[in-house]
Amino acid sequence: VNTVSLHPASIKLPLAFILTGLLSLILGIGWLVGNPSILATYHYNQYVIAVTHLFVLGWLCSVVMGAMYQLVPVALETKLHSEKLAWLQLAFHIIGAIGMVWMFRVWNMKQVGHFGCVLAIGVGLFVYNITRTLRRVPKWNTTASAIAAAITWLSIAIFAGLCIAAAKCTYSADLEGEGATPPAGAVGALVACLRSVALFARHFDALNAMHAHAHLGAVGCFTMLIVGISYKLIPMFTLSEIQSRRRAALSLVLLNLALAGSFVTILVRSPWRLGFALLGLVALSIYGWELRAILHARKRRPLDWGIKYFLTAVALLLLTSVLAAVLSWPALPANPFTGQLENLYGFLGLLGSISFGVIGMLYKIVPFLVWFGRYSTQIGLKKVPALADMYSTRLQAGGYWSFLAGLCVTIPAILFSSEAFTRVGCSLLALSVASLAVNVGMILTHFAGPRPQPLSSSSPSTQALEPKPA
Amino acid sequence: MSLEKPTSIPVITEAAILEKLREIMDPEIGCNIVDLGLIYDVKIDETANVTVSMTLTTPGCPMHESIRWGAENALLKLDGIGDVQVDLVWDPAWNPSMMTEFGRAATGF
Repeated sequence: VNTVSLHPASIKLPLAFILTGLLSLILGIGWLVGNPSILATYHYNQYVIAVTHLFVLGWLCSVVMGAMYQLVPVALETKLHSEKLAWLQLAFHIIGAIGMVWMFRVWNMKQVGHFGCVLAIGVGLFVYNITRTLRRVPKWNTTASAIAAAITWLSIAIFAGLCIAAAKCTYSADLEGEGATPPAGAVGALVACLRSVALFARHFDALNAMHAHAHLGAVGCFTMLIVGISYKLIPMFTLSEIQSRRRAALSLVLLNLALAGSFVTILVRSPWRLGFALLGLVALSIYGWELRAILHARKRRPLDWGIKYFLTAVALLLLTSVLAAVLSWPALPANPFTGQLENLYGFLGLLGSISFGVIGMLYKIVPFLVWFGRYSTQIGLKKVPALADMYSTRLQAGGYWSFLAGLCVTIPAILFSSEAFTRVGCSLLALSVASLAVNVGMILTHFAGPRPQPLSSSSPSTQALEPKPA
Repeated sequence: MSLEKPTSIPVITEAAILEKLREIMDPEIGCNIVDLGLIYDVKIDETANVTVSMTLTTPGCPMHESIRWGAENALLKLDGIGDVQVDLVWDPAWNPSMMTEFGRAATGF
């Protein structure tokens, strides 16, 4: 007899994070539709950096953090350390992210640094909360290791980002010690510390530092979580199990090594970055191999749309890692086409694969959250809906194809710097995001007003045969 | 003062219990727990106390407490039933061959 009890956080907490993320995704896609030159021209400008941070901090970080507050206790059979801290973090996160995106847009790096500190306080609370939660995990496994790695890389990514901001907004005179004398005490020590950090960060090329920082966040945090969490969720949703724990662990170890090596070699523009990019490709290939074995052994043969979103995203992730290897080629010419390839790499990584996978998982997480909060105490007393009854699977399927069509149009449009086609492609992506928003809205109507039905007097077997959308 | 007509005490049978448990759906799969093959054993003693052994499709299922609780709730609504205990067991592990024909047809497994 299993006596394990589950301790999910209150559903309002993850929902608040997820809705923040969804709003950011809508704004970000709208921004790209309105200003396609962001993708169709070279990427080192204030608008690209602003919209990238909107996607990364506003959309991905919010959703991932909210989901982790809910999933970590459930998946690892433990209890969240503090829900109050999580709410406090949300406030820091929203203020920090909005401020950073806005200040990037107007290119005020000093204020980026200030808002970045606000965001970093939030991330610190998140890391503390999840770390304390992980310490309660009864059985340490691959997923727990991936979560621990992801929050470590996230912390380093935030620190690296603040260092870059410090290097950009500190005047040369200050760096050389010719500026105003820092005040005594703690503030003086802080100023001295900032100067040291800025001086150190200025040893590196700004573009290389930005790319290295981006990899820490995108690969270290999001890709690591996608790999680690899916080792738990994909077997759960497809009724399968991990086929080789050694293979799963190896994929994570190699991914961590590839990331650590890539960070250093990108930062110093070493030709060795190709080796670490290939190592990352090997890590993700092993992950794909294990995922294939898990799916092959699954007991639930039909794959629902949420899983289809996720698996397509994994395929795109492999494609993105091939592109990473191409971009790491030491003899690659520095010309406008290479610049567009870099744009494509960022677009495919953040939107094409990570966002697509996150959307797939949202179709699992959001209905579950609302069902759990509104119907779990009604089961057996009233007729409660199945998760798939809470939203439109037709819209979900439409969103899938619209997203893929959007990628098919946007990819060549970015490569060949076509603003018109980039706008068309991003509009298709926006259509997909709109279908997600409508579906989330439909799910939330159950949150606002649960609709349990009286138990039917007809044979319950008949209920199970009620037609469900394919 | 009027005397109520004595009513007959309903007999609790395994079939009645399984029929009641068919009201409980696995919300992720969208099929009832009986046709999914999740009910392993039903014991009824002479005072109509019922013990059900059931499993779930996956040990990590985050809904396992809800489904177990729902099964207890549903059974407690049966007239004449005594105490109800629903135990979750993981041995043997569930597999699709445990589903009924109806369950397979309903889920496409």
